[in-house]
Amino acid sequence: MEIQAAPPAHQAPLSPSPHLLPPIFQSDTAPPQMITQGAEALLYRTTYLLPTLPCALKYRPSKPYRHPILDARLTKHRILSEARVLVKCRREGVPVPAVYAVDEREGWVMLEWVEGEVVRVKVNEWLRRRKELGVAEGVEEEVLKGLMGRIGRAIGRMHGGGGLCMGDLTTSNLMLRPKREDTVNGEGSRNAGDEVLGGEIVLIDFGLASQSSADEDRAVDLYVLERAFGSTHPRAEGLFSELLGAYGTSFKGANVVLKKLEEVRMRGRKRSMLG
Amino acid sequence: MIAIGLEGSANKLGVGIISHPSPGKPAQILSNLRHTFVTPPGEGFLPKDTAKHHRSWVVQLVKQAMAEAKVMIKDVDCICYTKGPGMGAPLQSVAVAARMLALLWEKELVGVNHCVGHIEMGREITGADNPVVLYVSGGNTQVIAYAEQRYRIFGEALDIAVGNCLDRFARTLEISNDPAPGYNIEQLAKKGKVLLDLPYAVKGMDCSFAGILSSIDVLAAELKANPETKDPITGEVITTADLCFTLQETIYAMLVEITERAMAHVGSSQVLLVGGVGCNERLQEMMGLMAAGRGGSIFATDERFCIDNGIMIAHAGLRAYETGFRTPLEDSTCTQRFRTDEMFIKWRD
Amino acid sequence: MALLETIHLEHLPTTPIHISLYRNVKNAPFLQQQLLAGNTDFEYAFIDASVIVSRIHVLSAAYRAINALHSHRLRSRNVHSEIVFSLSPNNNIAESFRRFGITATTENLLVVKVGGGREEVKRHLEGAVEGEAVGGMLDVGKVRKVYKLNSGGGGGKKGLGNGVVNEEEERRELEVFVLGAMALRGASN
Repeated sequence: MEIQAAPPAHQAPLSPSPHLLPPIFQSDTAPPQMITQGAEALLYRTTYLLPTLPCALKYRPSKPYRHPILDARLTKHRILSEARVLVKCRREGVPVPAVYAVDEREGWVMLEWVEGEVVRVKVNEWLRRRKELGVAEGVEEEVLKGLMGRIGRAIGRMHGGGGLCMGDLTTSNLMLRPKREDTVNGEGSRNAGDEVLGGEIVLIDFGLASQSSADEDRAVDLYVLERAFGSTHPRAEGLFSELLGAYGTSFKGANVVLKKLEEVRMRGRKRSMLG
Repeated sequence: MIAIGLEGSANKLGVGIISHPSPGKPAQILSNLRHTFVTPPGEGFLPKDTAKHHRSWVVQLVKQAMAEAKVMIKDVDCICYTKGPGMGAPLQSVAVAARMLALLWEKELVGVNHCVGHIEMGREITGADNPVVLYVSGGNTQVIAYAEQRYRIFGEALDIAVGNCLDRFARTLEISNDPAPGYNIEQLAKKGKVLLDLPYAVKGMDCSFAGILSSIDVLAAELKANPETKDPITGEVITTADLCFTLQETIYAMLVEITERAMAHVGSSQVLLVGGVGCNERLQEMMGLMAAGRGGSIFATDERFCIDNGIMIAHAGLRAYETGFRTPLEDSTCTQRFRTDEMFIKWRD
Repeated sequence: MALLETIHLEHLPTTPIHISLYRNVKNAPFLQQQLLAGNTDFEYAFIDASVIVSRIHVLSAAYRAINALHSHRLRSRNVHSEIVFSLSPNNNIAESFRRFGITATTENLLVVKVGGGREEVKRHLEGAVEGEAVGGMLDVGKVRKVYKLNSGGGGGKKGLGNGVVNEEEERRELEVFVLGAMALRGASN
């Protein structure tokens, strides 16, 4: 339950000697551009096959502290399991990036580049704009409610359709992808806020995901996200019920998960520790 | 100010005396004594016998610590003792000793969280300012970071502690518990070369060791039944040393991984290693490589502070005492369950 | 034969590939025979074009095969057979040749050549393949069958968020499923 309690004080320092990418990416005249350095994967933006097709390159460099045999085994396992999860999700209609190419030996996977921003950034932007415009809380919140509903349905599809749990569901692994121009059919947006929170939800980063249909795991997903909303967007926390409402109708068995969620809330994620 | 600290949550009895000269100046260790209850190979320590050990040594150790520190009873400001977590009977026997001293010397009591003691002592000795802490011992496996007056647990072992896994495997192999089972596994592991297959159980920032222990126990039984078994890759004969090597490589990789994840999460590049398992040189080396990769560094202490001791209880207790914290006699109980994040850390920003 | 396309794939700037597509191919038995006989003049990937969804689809296979070549991890005889094998969603090499490679009855043929000079490749193909060079000839039903996209839920029809699916979207999803299935080949643990 403490996971979200400490907001990152500052950006993790980038490694002094940047990791060398696998050989195939070293000859590039325009080298892949680093986006983030996570605990075990580096994310780059590059292109796949053609200059016109942008993609995300996720590279898991080998860890010098690990025994080489163990390192190769873990890297291979993780690259493959994440790719497998994404392919399965996509087939079940869960909105996730497509898998383009996998090289588990070298430790990389190329995924569809998802345009847009993570929900965390977008919600903060929306809240800030409203504050600037002097709109009181609780007024004209339909747009945010709409977003919460879309998030709830996306998670429901992942749990119910995909049979998967995210492991660490936060507003940083939910993307908001702007709708393509051609699919916007005449629905003029009422104000600037509508545009900020418009678009479809795409779930990203399945590094810790697992195949699970356990109500417990599903409830923990929701609980962790609820905590994330509480700590990073306290003003949006009140609308979490919208998300749960949409989730509840998104698949058979969702209501059982919501019951379980109450249990998980009561005890917190962590058990009382033994000495 | 001067405090005496009494620790006995497991098989070590520790008494330490610390002085905090004035704010901003480093603490002075006036004495730090320890007596360990060592069991024969193949046997763990039982609560009843451990409590008996502590009872029979505590008076002698306190006298010796006072003499070594060259302090008089009147110089001591408070009596600090381990409130928990730990084994019930040993904790109780030491709490009784602390109460007795408090009444005899007419001093106030301060009950201390054992884990917070390790963290505060580690920070004091190494000068690490705001590190992610990996606390690894026979009873605890936690990844901790400080936020808003609490040491928050980001990740932990979901079943047995890492040190417990090592201790129990030492029992399986029937190797010596002197000075510590983990130490002897470490020495054997230095001679190992072959990495065998073991489960790897990390989930987010949590991990589990029970499955690994049963797998390595199975490998040990197979080796015992068939000592000529060869590694299919290298063709070398597998030895007990290889089992120790495999166990260490696997479980320490897990610990380093969850620590790195917490560091990435809070945006810290310092890591502090505390607890008995934190003495392990291979773990320190691996942690150092990880921290270097993140542009940071590792802070570790030697066995005087890594292994359970009285001085850390005195130090953390005195920190609390300075901010006005007291444990009234009627509340001077101890508890087997006492989470690190339950203690309010008033002395930090 | 003006339709030979030469492409430098991203991250593989030094390895050009040449692609050409034919309809009403008359000499498929002959071409297949050259491959079986190991005739080094016929170092091409001859692919049955009716199971190719898009340009990206075949380029993906070429990318994987060239990556395997450069890192000395070819699973089949050479980079050209590896392209055909790369199209496969499973590890059965012989089956991948039957499903995706040229057969005696192939009429729609996609030819891929890794390396070599464009003019040289063009000239050789002009003499070797008896058929018309054209645009596209996808058989969606066949693709769904070979990639097992009819079983289970999926296949794009099941709506993507708002449920509105047009033909272009459907083709794009089909491409995505096919790329995913190819990428995961060999993912046995």
